[in-house]
Amino acid sequence: MSTSPRILTLRVLRSSPVEGEAPHWEDFRVEEAEGMTLFLALTEVRERLAPSLQFDFVCRAGICGSCGMLIDGKPGLACCALTRDHGTTITLAPLPVFELIGDLSVNTGKWMRGTAERLETWIHSAAKPDLTAVEPRMEPELAEAIYELDRCIECGCCVAGCGTLRMREEFVGAIGLNKIARFRLDPRDERSDEDFYDLIGDDTGVFGCMSLLGCHDVCPKGLPLQTQIAFLRRKMVAVGLK
Amino acid sequence: MTGSIEQTGLPADIPDLPAPGRAAAIPVSATRAGARLRKSRWPARLDLLQSVSGLFLALFLVAHMFFVSSILISKDAFHTVARFFEAAWLFGKPQPWVVSVVVGVVFTVFVLHAWLAMRKFPASFRQYRVFSEHKAQLRHSDTGLWWIQLWTGFALFFLGSVHLYGMLTQPELIGPYESADRIWTGTMWPLYLLLLFAVEIHGSLGLYRLALKWGAFEGRDPVHTRRRLRVAKTCFSVFFLGLGLVTLLAYVQLGIAHADQAGQRYAPSVVGNVAVRN
Amino acid sequence: MRIVYTDVLVVGGGLAGLRAAVGARRRGQDVIILSLVPPKRSHSAAAQGGMQASLGNTFKGAGDNEDVHFEDTVRGSDWGCDQEVARLFVHAAPQAVRELAAWGVPWNRVKAGPRQVVMDGQHVTLTEPEASHGLIAARDFGGTKKWRTCYVSDGTGHAMLYAVSDQAVAERIPVHERTEAVALIHDGTRCHGAIVRDLVTGELSAYVAKATCIATGGFGRIYRVTTNALINEGIGAAIALETGVATLANMEAVQFHPTTIFPAGILVTEGCRGDGGLLKDASGHRFMPDYEPEKKELASRDVVSRRMEEHIRAGHGVKTRFGDHLWLDITLLGAQHINGKLREVKEICQHFLGIDPVKDMIPVRPAQHYSMGGIRTDAAGQARGLAGLFACGEAACWDLHGFNRLGGNSVAETVVAGMIVGETMADFVESSAGELQVSTALVREFLEREQAKIDTLLHGNGKENASELMRRMQDIMTEKVGIFRRGDLLQEAVDELQALLLRSRKIGIDTKRAGANPELVTAYRLQKMLKLALCVAYGALQRTESRGAHFREDYPRRDDASWLKRTLATWHDDFQTLPTLAYESLDVTRMELPPGWRGYGAKNAIEHPATEARVAEVATIRSAFERADRYTVQQALMPFDHLVPEAFRGRNARPGEQTS
Ligand SMILES: Cc1cc2nc3c(=O)[nH]c(=O)nc-3n(C[C@H](O)[C@H](O)[C@H](O)COP(=O)(O)OP(=O)(O)OC[C@H]3O[C@@H](n4cnc5c(N)ncnc54)[C@H](O)[C@@H]3O)c2cc1C
Ligand code: HEM
Ligand code: HEM
Ligand code: SF4
Ligand code: F3S
Ligand code: FES
Repeated sequence: MSTSPRILTLRVLRSSPVEGEAPHWEDFRVEEAEGMTLFLALTEVRERLAPSLQFDFVCRAGICGSCGMLIDGKPGLACCALTRDHGTTITLAPLPVFELIGDLSVNTGKWMRGTAERLETWIHSAAKPDLTAVEPRMEPELAEAIYELDRCIECGCCVAGCGTLRMREEFVGAIGLNKIARFRLDPRDERSDEDFYDLIGDDTGVFGCMSLLGCHDVCPKGLPLQTQIAFLRRKMVAVGLK
Repeated sequence: MTGSIEQTGLPADIPDLPAPGRAAAIPVSATRAGARLRKSRWPARLDLLQSVSGLFLALFLVAHMFFVSSILISKDAFHTVARFFEAAWLFGKPQPWVVSVVVGVVFTVFVLHAWLAMRKFPASFRQYRVFSEHKAQLRHSDTGLWWIQLWTGFALFFLGSVHLYGMLTQPELIGPYESADRIWTGTMWPLYLLLLFAVEIHGSLGLYRLALKWGAFEGRDPVHTRRRLRVAKTCFSVFFLGLGLVTLLAYVQLGIAHADQAGQRYAPSVVGNVAVRN
Repeated sequence: MRIVYTDVLVVGGGLAGLRAAVGARRRGQDVIILSLVPPKRSHSAAAQGGMQASLGNTFKGAGDNEDVHFEDTVRGSDWGCDQEVARLFVHAAPQAVRELAAWGVPWNRVKAGPRQVVMDGQHVTLTEPEASHGLIAARDFGGTKKWRTCYVSDGTGHAMLYAVSDQAVAERIPVHERTEAVALIHDGTRCHGAIVRDLVTGELSAYVAKATCIATGGFGRIYRVTTNALINEGIGAAIALETGVATLANMEAVQFHPTTIFPAGILVTEGCRGDGGLLKDASGHRFMPDYEPEKKELASRDVVSRRMEEHIRAGHGVKTRFGDHLWLDITLLGAQHINGKLREVKEICQHFLGIDPVKDMIPVRPAQHYSMGGIRTDAAGQARGLAGLFACGEAACWDLHGFNRLGGNSVAETVVAGMIVGETMADFVESSAGELQVSTALVREFLEREQAKIDTLLHGNGKENASELMRRMQDIMTEKVGIFRRGDLLQEAVDELQALLLRSRKIGIDTKRAGANPELVTAYRLQKMLKLALCVAYGALQRTESRGAHFREDYPRRDDASWLKRTLATWHDDFQTLPTLAYESLDVTRMELPPGWRGYGAKNAIEHPATEARVAEVATIRSAFERADRYTVQQALMPFDHLVPEAFRGRNARPGEQTS
C-alpha cells in the first residue's frame, strides 16, 4: 500500500516538577506505520527510547478523555490523532492550565473534580426515588437532547483552547458552562435559574466568557458549546434583570 | 468517621493525604441549601450594558458615517446635515450646544463602554503574555479576532477621545470648510485615518461578537452560521472603510483647495430660510 | 510512616467501586476511593451497548420479567454461574436502572407508534405501545429472549459512570486519584486495608480501613490484543491473590470478541457481519465458508473468533509490523447503509485507521474482551478467605456470568453488585466484626515489605527488561491461551509463564527515579500480572472440557459430570510459580434451572448424574404450584429473598404487570 515509511520526529516538551527537571524539548525518531496514532508512536518511544516518558492513555479509543495534549500547538486527543495527518515533525506539549505532573501528563482529574464541586454537577432532587415503581416518564427527544450535552468526556481540550481561561484561571470554562446547561435542561434537577445564577452569574462564570470559541472548535466530541454558552447567557441575564 | 482512631490507639494527627484529586477548599452543599446568599445581579447587568453600549455605539457610527459622508453628495448636503443637529428647526435659531449635548451623551456611552470593556483587558503582564502565547500557539481565527478587537478598542480610547473632545468643545465648527480645514490645515487627517480603521474594524468585530455572544441568528448549524456571520462582518468593514476613505479623501481635497482661506466658514450656495448665517 | 484511616476503602473508581462507595457513604460511613485515574476515565466509560434489566417497556420486551432474564443469564453462563446470585441480580437490576434514571442517566425512551428496524436483514415495522411512551427503552442483544438492554444512544457506560461519579462528588466522597493499591494489609484472617503507592510522587502509604472493597475491573491487559483499557491490568485481583488466603475463581473463563480493529483492538460491532459484511484473508479470499459452510460469517461469536485465529495460524493473515490480521469487508453494503446504519463503525475507522469503510476493508482480529473470573465472593460480596475484604464488578467472581457473560449484563452487574456490597460493607462496619484491631507493627511490616520490593527493582542488579517480558507474556496468552485451547499449547504456556515469572524477579530498571516512573510501574505490575496469567493458563490446562468461552479443542464437550464446578486459585507464598487450584462443585440439586441445552451452540454435554432427578423435581414443583403466581413458584424452587438487602426488597412494577 505505502511506499517507504516516513521517519517521524516527535518533539516532546519534557519536564518533571517532582524531580525538579525544567521544561525542555526532546526529539524522538520513530518509523511511521500504517494507521499509526500518536498513542502507538508514543508507546513505541517509551518502550524503545525513553522508558521514563510520562503520558496518560487509558482507553486509547477517544472515549475516556485522558490523553488531551497540545499537538502542534492545538489541544486534541492524542489517541485519535493519526500521524499521517501531520508533518514529519510533530510537536507535543502538555495541556496548559492544568497542574503539570510530568512530560505530557497533567492533572485534569483534580481540575474536573474542583469544577464538579464548584458547580454542583449532580441532580439536585429532594424526592427519594421509589426504585420498585415504574420510572417517571420523559420525552424521548428530551432524553436525547440531554445526552447530547452529557457526552462531554472531561478531556480538558476546551479549557486549554480558551484564551480567557488561560488569562483568568478562575473562569469556569466552556466545560463548566456546558455542565450547567446539561443540568438545567434536565427536569429531574429541581434547581431554578436563580440557583444556577448563584453558580455562574458573574465574571468567573458565564459573563466571563468572551466568545472566543476556541472551546467549540477544539472539542473532540463536537459539543455545541457555542450555542449552549449563548443560551445560558440569555437565561442568566434574564435572572439578573428580574 | 466515628472513632476508628481511638480504637486503634494510633497517633491521631493524620498527615496530609497524598491526594491530588482531593476535594478543593470550595464549600459544597450536598443538598440544596435554602438559605444561601444570593449572588449580586450586577454582573448580569454590566454584561448586558457592555453589549448594549457597544451596540449603541456601533449603530451610532453607522448613522454617523452616513452623515459625515454627505459631503460626497455636496457641500450643501453636509452643511444641511450639520446644521440640522443644531436644531434650528426646533428653536428657530441654530443652537450648537445641542450638538454638544449629543456629543456628551455619546461620549458618556463611549466612556461607559470603554470602562466595561476594559474589564476584559489582560489585567497584568502575565495575563498579556499568556494570551499572546496562546494565540500564537492555537492559530485560531476567533481568538485572533478578539485580540484585534482588544487592540482597536485600546486605540479608540485615545483616538476617539481626541475626536469627541473636539466635537464637544467646538460644536459650531462642523461644516464643509470647517471640517475640511480641521482635517487638512489642522492636520487631523492622520488621526482620522487611524480612527477610521480602528473604529470600523472594532465595530464590525463587535457586532459579529454580539451575534455569537447572544446566539442571534443561530439556526440549525451554528458553525455554518458563524461562517456566514464572518462574511457579513467582513462586508460591513469593507463597506464602511471604503465609504470612510472616500469621504476622508473628499475632505482632504476640499481642505487642500481651501487651505489658503483656512478658517473661513462655509456659506451655503442656496440661502434658504433654514440656514441663516450668523 | 503515612497512615490514612477510614471506615471503608474502595479500591477502584469504576461503576462498581463508585456505586459501592455511595452506598456505604449513605449509610453514614467514611469512605475513600482509590483510583489509578480520575474515576470518570475508568473503563466502564467504554461500554457502549447497554445495560440489561427486565423493564419490559418496549413492544419487543413485553412480557419480560425476572424469570426470563434469569433463564437467559443461566443459559448464557453455560450453567457455570451461581443461580442464587443470578436471581438476586435479575431482581435488583430494574431497581438499578431506575435509580440511575433518578440520578440523571438520560436513558433512551420509548416513543409510542410505529418505527422501522432491521431484523435479520429485513426491514420490519414495530409499533410501540402508547402506554409505554416516555418509559425507558431497550434494544436487542445476543443471547436474550426479549429486548432488554437499556441504553443511552452509543454511550451507555459513559452516561452511567458520569451519573454515579457525580453522586460520589455530591456525597463528598474523596477520591484519591493516581494512586494504586499494591498490597492488602492483612493478618491471615482479616483484611485491614491496603498499601497504596502514589503514582505521582512514588510515595507509599498505608490506608487502614474496617472494610476494603476491590473493584478494579478486568485484567484484559495480560493479553496482547484486547478491547480493554490500558489500565485493566488486574492489579486488584492480583493483590487479593497475593494475600495467600483470598481466592480467585474461574480465571480461565475469558471472553473474546471476533471483530476488533487491528492493531488498536477497538471494538467494531457485530452488526457489520449481521448486515452482510464478509471476512477475508491476505489474498482476499473469503475463508469462513471453508470452515463453516452453513452459517459462514454469522456463526456464533466464539466459533467465528476461533476460525479466524485458526486461519491466521495457518499463515493466511495479513502480516504487519504489529502482527497479523484479517479483513472485514463491508464495502459491499454501500455508502448509504454504512453512513446511516453503521455510522459509529465509520467514525472509528476514520479516527483510528484513517480509512473509509465505504471504500476500504477494515483490518480486524479477535481480541480478549471480558474476564468472567476474579476475586471469589459470596452473594453479599464478601470475599472468601479474608474477613473485611469485599469485591464487586469485573474484578470479582460474584459468579453471575459463569463461563460466558451476556452482553449488557456486565455494566448491570457493576451497579447491582455495587448496591449490594455497599450495604454489606455498611452492615459489616456497624457490626462488632467490623471493629478495627490492627497493630501499627503490622502496618509497618507491610509498608516496609512493599518498599523493599520497589527498592529491589530500582536498585537491585537485575538485567531483565520489563516491557520485553510484558510483551512476551501478552504474546503467550494471546497465542496459547486464547480463543481455542489445547492441552499441549496450554502446557507450553504454563511452562513459559513460569519461566517468565522467575525472570521477572530479576528485572532491572534504567530510570532510577522513585516518583512517576512508568518503567518501574510496568515492572512491579508485570510480576503481579504473571500470577494472574498463570491462574488463567493453568486453570485452562486443568479444565478438560469446553464450557462457555473456555473451549478446548481436545475436549470439545461440556462435561457436567466432572466439571460442573468452579475453579478456585490461591497463591500461598511468593516463591510458588503456580497457583494452588481447588474446585467447588455447583449443587445441581438446588438449581432452579438444572443443566440442559443452551438453545444454541453444540448439544453434546455430558450430563451430571443429579441432573435428571432435579429436572423431575422442578417439574413436580411447577405442576404442584400451577395456579400460584410466578413469585410463589420461584420461591418454592429456589428461595433467594434472604440474600436481598433490606433496601432492595419489594417487587418490581412493570407497565401491565400485576405485582401482588
Ligand atoms: C470495549 C468494551 C465495551 C463494553 N461494552 C459493554 C456493554 O455494552 N455492556 C456491558 O454490560 N458491558 C460492557 N463491557 C464490560 C463492562 O464495561 C465492564 O465489565 C465494566 O464496566 C467493569 O466495571 P468495573 O467498575 O468493574 O471496572 P472499571 O470500570 O474497569 O474500573 C476499574 C477501576 O479500578 C481502578 N483501579 C484498578 N486497579 C487499581 C489499583 N491497583 N489501585 C487503585 N485503583 C485501581 C481503576 O482506576 C478504575 O477506576 C464492555 C467492555 C469493553 C472493554
Ligand atoms: C475607548 C474605546 C473602546 C474600547 C476600549 C473598547 C473595547 C472593547 C473591548 C475590549 C471589547 C471586547 C469585550 C469582550 O470581549 O467582552 C469591546 C466590545 C465591543 N465594542 Fe468596543 N471599545 C471601545 C469603543 C467602541 C466603539 C466606539 C464602538 C462602536 C463601534 C464599540 C463597539 C463594540 C461592540 C459592538 C462590542 C461587542 C460588545 C460585547 O461583546 O458585549 N466599541 N470593546
Ligand atoms: C456625537 C458625537 C460625534 C460627532 C458629532 C461627530 C462628528 C464628526 C464630524 C463632524 C466629522 C467630520 C470631520 C470633522 O469635522 O472633524 C467626523 C468624522 C469622523 N468621526 Fe465623528 N463624531 C462623533 C462621534 C464619533 C465617534 C464616537 C467616533 C468613533 C470612535 C467617531 C469617528 C469618526 C471618524 C473615524 C471620522 C472620520 C470619518 C471619515 O472622514 O471617513 N466619531 N465626526
Ligand atoms: S466540552 Fe469537549 S473539549 Fe471540553 S472537556 Fe468536554 S469533551 Fe473535552
Ligand atoms: S473559548 Fe473561552 S471565552 Fe468562551 S466561547 Fe469558549 S469559553
Ligand atoms: S486514551 Fe482515552 S481518550 Fe485518548
